[in-house]
Amino acid sequence: MQRNRPPSAQTIRVLHALAADPAQWRYGYDLATEVRLKSGSLYPILVRLADRGLLETSWEPGVGSRPPRHLYRLTPTGREFVAALTAARVDRTVPHPRRHWNEA
Amino acid sequence: MPLPFILMMCLLGIGIAMFRRSPQAFLDGPSEDMPTRLLRWAAGLLSAQRAEWGQAMLGELDHLDGRAKRWRFAVGCVGAALLLPPWGRAAAGVWAMIAVAAASVGLYASVAIRYGLGVGSWVAAAILVVFLVGYLLAASALLRRPGVAIPGLLGGLCVVLAWLTLSGFTFYEQITPDIMHWHRLVMMTAVPLAVGAAGTLWSRDPVIGRRVARLAAISAGLGLYLYGTLAVAVLGAGGPPEDNGWTVRYIVDDRLGNNLVDLLLTTLVIATVGWAGAAAAARLRRGSPAPPLPGPLIPPASPDPQQEV
Repeated sequence: MQRNRPPSAQTIRVLHALAADPAQWRYGYDLATEVRLKSGSLYPILVRLADRGLLETSWEPGVGSRPPRHLYRLTPTGREFVAALTAARVDRTVPHPRRHWNEA
Repeated sequence: MPLPFILMMCLLGIGIAMFRRSPQAFLDGPSEDMPTRLLRWAAGLLSAQRAEWGQAMLGELDHLDGRAKRWRFAVGCVGAALLLPPWGRAAAGVWAMIAVAAASVGLYASVAIRYGLGVGSWVAAAILVVFLVGYLLAASALLRRPGVAIPGLLGGLCVVLAWLTLSGFTFYEQITPDIMHWHRLVMMTAVPLAVGAAGTLWSRDPVIGRRVARLAAISAGLGLYLYGTLAVAVLGAGGPPEDNGWTVRYIVDDRLGNNLVDLLLTTLVIATVGWAGAAAAARLRRGSPAPPLPGPLIPPASPDPQQEV
């Protein structure tokens, strides 16, 4: 059964980093450096995002004896998810009129 | 048999086994650096459906320069690979072993409190916890390997049952073993040898056979340690031999210490003998071809990853 818990702050950072240029494929290490996550935190997040269909993966062929490199970018569903996440965040940050009255 | 001799023979056996596995690597040293080897080992623990992610981590590590950077990346990935679900049947095995280890520590602590043992016993308890954590980590790595969990745990159960049957299911024999030589030969040699050989014959793969032998040794060591600690908890300072002149506290403390040494020694001996059994069985059945091992996942090559979906 798939759990639908809200994404963690770290997952949101990864999603936003990927959504900055959704068409571009990203390397794992570059992504970890950008969002300041250790590899031990990043890869479980990427696995979960891929399991939920929010992330697509691909392989960059290895050059010479070097092994292939894994690449990541958001799926269309992933982009919609990030858009919805951003909209919900904006909605939460809009000051409530009543609170505004109390503060005043 | 003197303890240093047994230890020396076990270490010699392990050295010979490592040399025979890859003489060139043994003499020249490994061809890959430590972070890569560590990560390759951890990636092998991932389930088949997650194997791609192990290759992804290895591929990324290969593009990193700088020793510290490579170490940091590899250690993080090893942690992720060790914990990444699904664990399948391995989870049940790990929980069972955690329960046995926790029960052992709990019994040890209850005995130490009941008899008012000194600081030395609590230091020994801390050492025990470190060893048990090491055992559990090693067991969890072995349990995640395909085809190892069930034969390994069954093998451990066989060793424990053989041990307890030959000692007559008594607590006295566990605390002050006064057993015949052929009993010792069966418990320490014949049964572990049979478990290792059965692991190879069952899986038709000597690598899995050796892992089965190691898991059987760890699970048997934990099981026998729990039984030994239970024996001390039940008997306290009672039972033979008559230690006139020694205080109850001293006898209980001594018995708990003996159990800790037995835990390490029996595990080492069972693992080494079982390993030898697995290797011997592989040699005996060398005439019949073994099924091919699943090779490393080779990702599809694509000239332009941007076009892939």
